[in-house]
Amino acid sequence: MAPSLSYREKTLYASLAAEVLVYGPYFFLHQQNSVNKVAGMIIAIIVLQIVLQLVIAAFTRNRVTDERDRLIELRGYRAGYLMIASLMVIGLGLLWFHATVGHLELDHRMVGLHFLSVFFGMLVISDITKTATQIVAYRRAL
Amino acid sequence: MPAIRNQIRELRARREITQQELADRVGVTRQTVIAMEQDKYSPSLETAFKVALVLGVSLEQCFQYDPRGKR
Repeated sequence: MAPSLSYREKTLYASLAAEVLVYGPYFFLHQQNSVNKVAGMIIAIIVLQIVLQLVIAAFTRNRVTDERDRLIELRGYRAGYLMIASLMVIGLGLLWFHATVGHLELDHRMVGLHFLSVFFGMLVISDITKTATQIVAYRRAL
Repeated sequence: MPAIRNQIRELRARREITQQELADRVGVTRQTVIAMEQDKYSPSLETAFKVALVLGVSLEQCFQYDPRGKR
């Protein structure tokens, strides 16, 4: 029998779609970043996630989660953590490089926004990594 | 070849139990039963015992361990 999607798997696909839809513009329109835009994106992702989860829950009869779901969830969080940790190390390394060897010249008023953008970007990438890892784990042997 | 193999599909067919019925009685999702039958997921010891119990066989009759298999 062909494996249909479980409740948990459906929510993951919805999460990935929401993440790509809301966070996608962040990578392509980052020149016009502002605190309001980042805050708007966070609110948009929360609202979209709630709506999608409600729709999926309403149309899914069997909402059981089991040990395999929990194991896959842990794998996703591990991958997400490794990604954000790696990005932090790379980011700090680049910052150190620019501060000592290079010439990092940031406008005083823009420093906060630059850091906000970088940290938000790291969070977005690690979040997408987490969700994508979980989706792959559902499709592959565990 | 996986390290842990099982006879769930054959035993289930012999007892005319559907994947959903087995899943409900064991307390897992149907997708997990499918993954176990395809040797894509090795369940916890507790779930393995429950599966054997529902299928009315011993653990060894349901699950086999091959030390040369891939984990």
